[in-house]
Amino acid sequence: MSEVDTPLLEVRKIGKQFPGVRALNDVDLIVQQAEVLAVIGENGAGKSTLMKILAGVQMPDRGQVLIDGEPVMLDSVKVSLDSGVALIHQELNLAENLQVGENIYLGREPNRLGFIARKQINVDAAKVLKQIGLAVEPTTPLSDLSIGQRQMVEIAKAISVGARVLIMDEPTSSLSTAEAERLFDVVKDLRKRGVSVIYISHRLGEVKALSDRVVVLRDGENAGVLDRDEITHDNMVRMMVGRDVSQFYARETLPIGDIVLSVERLRTPTWPEHEINFSIRQGEIVGISGLVGAGRTEMLRTLFGIDDPVAGTVAVDGKMIDLKSPIAAIDAGIALVPEDRKLNGLVIDMSVRHNIGLAALSRNRLAGGFLNRAIESRDATQMIHDLRIKTPNDSQIARFLSGGNQQKVVLGKWLAMMPKILLLDEPTRGIDVGAKQEIYQLMEKLAKEGLAVLFVSSEMEEIMGMSDRTIVMHEGRITGELQRSELSEESIMQLATGNANKVATVTN
Amino acid sequence: MNAKSLGIFGLLVMLFLFMVVMTSDSWTNIFSSTFLQSNNLENLLRRVSMYGLLGIGVAFVIITGGIDLSVGSIVCLAGCLLGIFLQVEYQPASVFDVHRAKAASDTVLVHGNADGTYVVGDKLRMYRGRQPALLTVQDVEAVNLADSDGEPIGVGTVLKVEGLSRDEDSGQVAKAFEILDFGRGQGDQAAWVTLAGVPFELSARDRVAFFHPSLGLKDLVVSSASREGEVSTVEFEQALGERFSKDWMAMPTARKQRMAIPLAIMSVLGIAGCLGLLHGLLVTRVHLQPFVVTLCGLLIYRGISRWLVDDNPVGFGIEYKETLSPLGSGKLSLLEWGTGDAAQAFGIPYPLFVFLIVAIIAAVFLNLTIWGRYLLALGSNEEAARYSGIRTERVTILAYVICTVSAATGGILFALDSGSISPSSFGNFYELYAIAAAVLGGCSLRGGEGSIFGVIAGTAVMMLLNNLILLLKIPDRLEFTIIGLVILLGVTLDETVRRIAARRRAMKSSQN
Repeated sequence: MSEVDTPLLEVRKIGKQFPGVRALNDVDLIVQQAEVLAVIGENGAGKSTLMKILAGVQMPDRGQVLIDGEPVMLDSVKVSLDSGVALIHQELNLAENLQVGENIYLGREPNRLGFIARKQINVDAAKVLKQIGLAVEPTTPLSDLSIGQRQMVEIAKAISVGARVLIMDEPTSSLSTAEAERLFDVVKDLRKRGVSVIYISHRLGEVKALSDRVVVLRDGENAGVLDRDEITHDNMVRMMVGRDVSQFYARETLPIGDIVLSVERLRTPTWPEHEINFSIRQGEIVGISGLVGAGRTEMLRTLFGIDDPVAGTVAVDGKMIDLKSPIAAIDAGIALVPEDRKLNGLVIDMSVRHNIGLAALSRNRLAGGFLNRAIESRDATQMIHDLRIKTPNDSQIARFLSGGNQQKVVLGKWLAMMPKILLLDEPTRGIDVGAKQEIYQLMEKLAKEGLAVLFVSSEMEEIMGMSDRTIVMHEGRITGELQRSELSEESIMQLATGNANKVATVTN
Repeated sequence: MNAKSLGIFGLLVMLFLFMVVMTSDSWTNIFSSTFLQSNNLENLLRRVSMYGLLGIGVAFVIITGGIDLSVGSIVCLAGCLLGIFLQVEYQPASVFDVHRAKAASDTVLVHGNADGTYVVGDKLRMYRGRQPALLTVQDVEAVNLADSDGEPIGVGTVLKVEGLSRDEDSGQVAKAFEILDFGRGQGDQAAWVTLAGVPFELSARDRVAFFHPSLGLKDLVVSSASREGEVSTVEFEQALGERFSKDWMAMPTARKQRMAIPLAIMSVLGIAGCLGLLHGLLVTRVHLQPFVVTLCGLLIYRGISRWLVDDNPVGFGIEYKETLSPLGSGKLSLLEWGTGDAAQAFGIPYPLFVFLIVAIIAAVFLNLTIWGRYLLALGSNEEAARYSGIRTERVTILAYVICTVSAATGGILFALDSGSISPSSFGNFYELYAIAAAVLGGCSLRGGEGSIFGVIAGTAVMMLLNNLILLLKIPDRLEFTIIGLVILLGVTLDETVRRIAARRRAMKSSQN
């Protein structure tokens, strides 16, 4: 094998297991020098795990990583960095209380006898910053920088270490369009200088514009590779989903009933300057789309009573509810399946039965405040059956279930309460394709039974596949509503980026 | 009972057997064990009960993910408050405070208007001054009193008396009564006296002080009393003695208890509950850290206790020997064996009953009521509990109230058991015993985990260790070291076992 053919980085038959989930199964990956390789896949496909393995954050159970054809043991972040692999995290890993230069050299400060050589840091940092075209002084406090600029600092940091493979995990998720453009230029520039970039993104447009090759993962396995001329939107989606999209989201148009939830002039503490108005009817599935940080989660939290509203009203069946705590919302028949099930949805160290019973404890209690264990047990059994929750028994601790089954437990907790309105925040985040489809079917079934379903999703496919009507939000306000016939990736993106005027009509 | 409390139960059994063997003369004669002596076991049960109350209380707070460091100071405050609430005073008839007594002019100046209360010819006893004296009133005149600067300080009375031998500037005067008739009390016959003109009705547990200018003083407890017209007949349990005669004078005093026993106990528990409520509010509404809130509590309540009683020891003395004190120090006798010097008895200390009642209520509350489930849920994941419509703040506050109330219950028993407590040291470090017992018993300081049974076993282990140090004559300087090491060993083992179990479980479920 000649020197030229040896890939810069090669991953062979990597496997990684987590409690209840097989995150990666015999995954292969090849990164050539000076290429932008996109790794795509749905949430839970194993992208993040694979990248964490390359960055030395996690150890694989099986398989090999080779750099320049030599097997390496990436058992710590330091080893990975020394081997030339740097990960730029989704959540930026910078110290806000330090200056830009100090951040770039954090943990490996040039020093004399243990004293930090501040001057040298500033000189060196200035060089790196210039290289990537970030016009800030090394002495600027990081807290003065925008999110986009901070990302550049992360990149500068990686370059200053001499990284040859730069992993970017969802780099544009919280950037403005201009900032994103700037980032693409830097990526192209890096490629020109011989650095390889592994680019992870959900935004297929970016992927198409930027990458030389695309590797698709699905359910922790290789789903295929697309070369430059094969990279099309349809190809990518087909590989990610593993079947035809139209089949995956089997939706019937259903007759819808009366208005069950109406939100009027609601102002959330996060975006107090904007009023939110909308309503949902019985049997309707409404999707809420928007970029990360558009205020969708905050809106759900406010109308469920978690956050105190600044102003406005929420009414169920025409009756206003008290928004001071979730209790009134729950009593009125609203249920919320939160975005982060481990943080807000589940008591992860409690059993499946206790989790399913948690919200209904007070409703079902016996005289004197005693638990009604018979009902709790009956509800748990029924939900495990109805939602096909895979668990050995109802006393299994929720932690040991897979993501999809955990999500079903959270759903079960609310369905046991027989709600009228189901709020779902990113309902399929981090769960496998099979469970995803089950959740879609469930949403459909519940809507058919007369529930109003309101779901927030960042997955364009999901919004387009599931919603009867889509509300798009941008920076805390509703920029438009789209009927099913008006839905397209472009129309959503226009509204999501705040270009409300480009959409012909805003229907109410 | 979960697997975790089984572990601590195992440790308890092993420690118990170890103690039996180590304190026996030989392997075959375990009944020679000093550990198994009935008074040692009784003592152990008593201590487990009292410390166990603290452990159960703090376990509730730990389950919420909080901590209560104020337990020891609450114990002290409860003891001091109980002492104050149950304080007993003996009030003589017609008593006035002395402002100044001058021997040269045979006058006693008292605060307040005594005209009418004292009349010419009355015998008065001056006491609590430097020299007690028996005075006879010659003249009574109301005056206005002034202090040394001439500022008026109220009404006073000048008593012209006979019998004053020196000057006084403090003390009190009260009416003394002549003894009309008496029986010394011999054999089955109770001692008795008859007095005339006592302005209040005497009853059992009041006292009568008898005094004689040269023969001294006697203070007797009334066993029963009756009154016919002006004449009171008073009976005593003790005898009056050979030298008693009609030359003695009597000063009857009425027993005044500040509060009835049930009211005093309820007040102590109520105050403790309010402090718990305050802790809970500061933690949930002001969002202060539990550690900080209760650390301040530890300092504040200790200081308040010392200030309330002026740093003096608080005692329950003989006043409550037969009523309340046995709740702390008494026992229900069950078995008696042996005779003479070898006589032995075993009984169940009363605090154990209190403890068992509290423990059963606590276990039922934690495991069978919705609030117990709320506690466990919010301790494990407060956000998820809130998203499920649980009023997490209220439940957290409740846990702090439970903790201080059960600490105060423990404090009452500790105070009654020791009879006299010193506010600067009583209850010191008890919070650490309680927290250690809860942690040993399977409560996670991260919250969401804990069982009452485990806490009981944890407390028992702590007390056994304490006993071990005593019986094996290990220098008690090492006590804390040994307890610390055992706890460390216990939790290390527990954590290791749990990790292994979790890994095994994870492997198993991922193979499915």
